[in-house]
Amino acid sequence: MTKVTVTLANRQGQTFEVDPRKTLLASLSEQGVDLPYGCKYGGCITCAARLMSGSVNQSAQVALNNRQINDGYIILCVARPLSDCCLEIGVDSHGKLYRNPFLDPLADHELKADIAAPMKENT
Amino acid sequence: MAKACCGPGYASPAEAMQAPREKLLYTIAIYTGTGIQKPDYLCTIDADPESPTYSQVISRLEMPGIGDELHHMGWNACSSCHDDENMERKYLIVPGVRSTNLHIVDCGTDPRNPTLFKVIEGSEIKATTNLSAPHTVHCLGSEIIISMLGDAQGNAPGGYLHLDKEFNIIGRWENSMGEIKFGYDFWYQPRHNVMVSSEWAAPNTFMPGFDLEEVGHLKYGRELHFWDFEKKEPRQTMYLGEDGLIPLEVRFHHNPDSSHGFVGAALSANIIHWWKDTAGEWQWEKIVDVDNEPHPDWPIPIPGVISVILLSMDDRFLYLCNWLHGDIRQYDISDPHKPVLTGQVWMGGLLGKAPEVNGVKVTGGPQMIQLSLDGKRLFVTTSLFSTWDNQFYPEIRTNGGCMLMVNCDTENGGMEIDPDFVVDFGKEPNGPSRCHETRYPGGDCTSDIWI
Repeated sequence: MTKVTVTLANRQGQTFEVDPRKTLLASLSEQGVDLPYGCKYGGCITCAARLMSGSVNQSAQVALNNRQINDGYIILCVARPLSDCCLEIGVDSHGKLYRNPFLDPLADHELKADIAAPMKENT
Repeated sequence: MAKACCGPGYASPAEAMQAPREKLLYTIAIYTGTGIQKPDYLCTIDADPESPTYSQVISRLEMPGIGDELHHMGWNACSSCHDDENMERKYLIVPGVRSTNLHIVDCGTDPRNPTLFKVIEGSEIKATTNLSAPHTVHCLGSEIIISMLGDAQGNAPGGYLHLDKEFNIIGRWENSMGEIKFGYDFWYQPRHNVMVSSEWAAPNTFMPGFDLEEVGHLKYGRELHFWDFEKKEPRQTMYLGEDGLIPLEVRFHHNPDSSHGFVGAALSANIIHWWKDTAGEWQWEKIVDVDNEPHPDWPIPIPGVISVILLSMDDRFLYLCNWLHGDIRQYDISDPHKPVLTGQVWMGGLLGKAPEVNGVKVTGGPQMIQLSLDGKRLFVTTSLFSTWDNQFYPEIRTNGGCMLMVNCDTENGGMEIDPDFVVDFGKEPNGPSRCHETRYPGGDCTSDIWI
């Protein structure tokens, strides 16, 4: 099985070889990375990280709204890498994850996937 | 007539009010969502003013793992099994909302140093009952039921987990969830064969944080459910609509003969009162409406967000917290249809009325409260839920939460923050943590039910 390389940008660029069939939370935790987590089913954002480059399959996550996804957030407890990836992990990557919902409302297309309006095409 | 029995709790609310003053507090503190990679923990706080360690954390019991998000908790036994001499109020059931783990904590063997007795793993609960996200714990005679806000994947409505007194999983308590969309808090009043449950949202909705738009998409609750308690199935639903957006804490009168109860609708910032009328029909009405308050930086006035309510043991006073405004209010509800505002204090909040209290910068607002059995001391903590704290009070990450005590005048009404009591969770040994629900070894105003 071909492994992929995960680089942690905010941990001095440490790199880890991981099995793409496993979740990033499981792979990185097994190799000693101290990561926050909560529900382990993709429903809470405690383990959120930012994907700086590369791609993941996180189709099982139901916690992120579309704005958070557009800002690069992924849910490590369900995300599996599809390529080499560079991540920012931990709460120090959460700067754009939290917003005051009254001061900074979401547009219809920025809601969670099940209720979001389709994005208007830019032509 | 004196009772011959010697089970836990008290023969009546009136007897509970005569109990000795609480000298220890058990309070949850969390690191989930804070960036500190440590387990959440249960604090024991010295509440004896004669003690040299008064107003300090005297022991800390860490949970086995990180990421639980401890939140609410409950006793294994209360006054509902007062007649059972084989029962003892000894164990706190301390659930993790995110992990679904249930921690059974022995507070009886050494009350000043609670120890972990048993853990029921979240994975076992999900596998055997298809439930997750535990919230409210009530004992039920000698058994225990816990509201579970989601199924094993975090979808609403969840259901109720039933444990025996040895903390074995019996299964699901309810026979049917009927048309209920969401779960949250519940309270039962057996002499009326009724349980009332309220609605927050699916775990997958509220755990990541609060998106206001999701209220309009009906992802948050606005209904109240009246159950046939013996049949364990919902019988009637009250649609509260705009008056009852996100109905949270449910409180029946402690008087077991009374049908009156109350719920705080968090987002509408209303108190809803219900009762059974002379024809035996359940009725409801709005009795308190907290006005939204303007703020120079906000495009719309700030709602109070009533995150909790409770009733004094004599059912005379109702207390509520406006977590975003920063005030605690005391209402005389001697006439439950016509509450009278009798007291108000400020701590923290977004309106800037009391940014610092007793030398501590208050980050967050008044949130969980617990009242002494005699009604005179109200203990208050400031954190709501890690993700929601991070949205509304992001400085809490570096400042932590705090606990204050409010002295309540039970004769004439009125409240004052005690100048000598403060616990600053910003100064905890492992870094700033956030404090949440509190319970007392001898029971309190939200734990005991009489059957």
